[in-house]
Amino acid sequence: MAKNNKKSLHWVRLDNAAKIYPAARRRNWSNIYRLSATLSEMVDKEVMQNALNVTVKRFPTIAACLKKGAFWYYLQQVETAPNIQEEYSYPLVHMSKKEMKKCALRVIVHENRVAVEFFHSLTDGTGGLVFLKNLIVEYLEQKYHVVIPLGNGIVDRTASPISEELEDSFPKYAGAVPVSRKDTNAWQLYGEPLADGFLQVTCFQLSVEETLALAHAYKVTATVFLGAVMMKALLSLQNEKNPHVASQERIKLSIPVNLRQLFPSCTLRNFSMYTIPEIDPRLGDYTFEEICRVIVHKLGAENTAKYMSRVIATNVNDEKNLLVRLIPLPIKNLVMKAIFNRVGERKSCLSFSNMGKVTVPTEMEPYVTRFDFVLGVPATAPYHCGLLSFGDTFYINFIRNIKEPELERHFFGVLKEMGLSAMVESNQREESGCIV
Amino acid sequence: MYCVNCGVKLSDNQTKCPLCGTVVYHPEIKREEQPPMYPKNKMPPKGSEAKALSGIVVILFLLPLAICFFADFLTNKEVTWFGYAAGAIGVAYVIFGLPFWFKKPNPMILVPCNFIATALYLMYVNEATGGKWFMSFAFPVIGGICFITCTFVTLLYYLRRGRLYVIGGSFIATGGMMLLVEFLLSITFQIAFVGWSVYPLVILVLFGVLLLYLAANRTARQAIERRLFF
Repeated sequence: MAKNNKKSLHWVRLDNAAKIYPAARRRNWSNIYRLSATLSEMVDKEVMQNALNVTVKRFPTIAACLKKGAFWYYLQQVETAPNIQEEYSYPLVHMSKKEMKKCALRVIVHENRVAVEFFHSLTDGTGGLVFLKNLIVEYLEQKYHVVIPLGNGIVDRTASPISEELEDSFPKYAGAVPVSRKDTNAWQLYGEPLADGFLQVTCFQLSVEETLALAHAYKVTATVFLGAVMMKALLSLQNEKNPHVASQERIKLSIPVNLRQLFPSCTLRNFSMYTIPEIDPRLGDYTFEEICRVIVHKLGAENTAKYMSRVIATNVNDEKNLLVRLIPLPIKNLVMKAIFNRVGERKSCLSFSNMGKVTVPTEMEPYVTRFDFVLGVPATAPYHCGLLSFGDTFYINFIRNIKEPELERHFFGVLKEMGLSAMVESNQREESGCIV
Repeated sequence: MYCVNCGVKLSDNQTKCPLCGTVVYHPEIKREEQPPMYPKNKMPPKGSEAKALSGIVVILFLLPLAICFFADFLTNKEVTWFGYAAGAIGVAYVIFGLPFWFKKPNPMILVPCNFIATALYLMYVNEATGGKWFMSFAFPVIGGICFITCTFVTLLYYLRRGRLYVIGGSFIATGGMMLLVEFLLSITFQIAFVGWSVYPLVILVLFGVLLLYLAANRTARQAIERRLFF
């Protein structure tokens, strides 16, 4: 009976973007990210487990485990929902191969907060947010017997998934002409590693109203404005670490782009790409307006369906190559890992991922107070930054695996120059080194 | 609540400023009790993957060791050449197997270990064969190469810039090492000093000087890059 059940489990090939992540894994690193919601009351673990049991069935490609085929990895729906886990002193604890074989997703409950940690092969931030929202809706319906209307990412958890949600949209929207992958390397941040694999999260809370008012004064969006703040912070940090301008390196920010906004796709799997605006400090000082212009023009040129279809084509063409397909998985892994190590994370200083404005149905608002988006640290660089806005607050989560909170200090310094106030909190340990 | 040093507003669950480390001290301001962002001092159990991998590597080295022992013992009815094989496998393990025990292998520790293991092995071979070449030839040669390699690795590891200088300097040092090798060969094995080492010395020094020139001259470096990129 159990065997029959296993055979009927839904399985899918990894989508185009997801293929690199299992190969790029290391002994102590895998590409995971976290989305969490803070509720107005303490989370009832038992009810949350029941809600999870229901939700996993609706999202067979997200609540999935990573399996090995002869030539490729694939995702298989989990037989039963994973158990709710407890929070440790830091988020995004390394997900081992063994754990991914059971379930490549974790649900963690701590006090009022429920967090879901996804291995990036399962889905991107948009898909993850849909999963989290539905999990909370199911929880609220079971716990408080409220009725929350469908729409705005909320789906019927008892229905079967629709085929468009499960599709790999990359091949569908690949353009006819690929684009060159050649790109320059960026300045890499560095510092003294934190002991025991500890990850330090520092969350800045900014008022949306104040930030938008300032962004509009510069005639840019919040993403561009905050991206420019980040680039300015990176510039001044590099200046501090290496005052010799002639030998400074490029400041580049990887800004993920949600392709669902450019193509008519409603997939719940990975469907995002990134744009990398850059400034070269060797060319002289940059004003804040200049940095904003660089980002605006880069996004304007690349954040279009036509350009992105070319980027997609580049990746999809590699995947279609018969020789690549016929190479056995272990060898393919070695090659992909070598390519990832060589180019993967050196093209930008850090990822600056904006999930945008998170909204929930009005019926849900009294129960949810906050959302957070935390990216995992990269394999070879020490920092990443994820942000989103909920209500009137921007939640900007820096994560790092080094002791020095230098980037955060410079980021706050730029905010202060702009006249923006920010509230900050962190999971710092007593021994974490801070420079006064 | 604001940090008195950097001015950032602090969440009520913070005991010190996450940006500058200043301890929160505002005795006159009442703070609301708030749980910490994450539980304090609750670390995940340490994974076993690294240990499992280093275990597998040990087995991979023990297997040929056992095969050599039985092959030697069964054919000769006593241990004859097994010591040489065991030593060689030991050296190979130190070079290739030891890094697996460390989460972040430090080359400044591992590289000298490799040379010490090699020197010990050569000393054993010297003793076992009754040779008289270890102290007068193998030891100074190994020592010289160890010194050059360790300097090279340490500088590459710590310097973020000027790597071409380090590589150029290493070429010149290796050239000098060639002279020493020929000199030691001649006094240990009574081979005439014919000066063959001058050829590699000249080539290595020329190449080293070229690299130093490129390191110092940006225009020349860019010209070379333009012609040799791939």
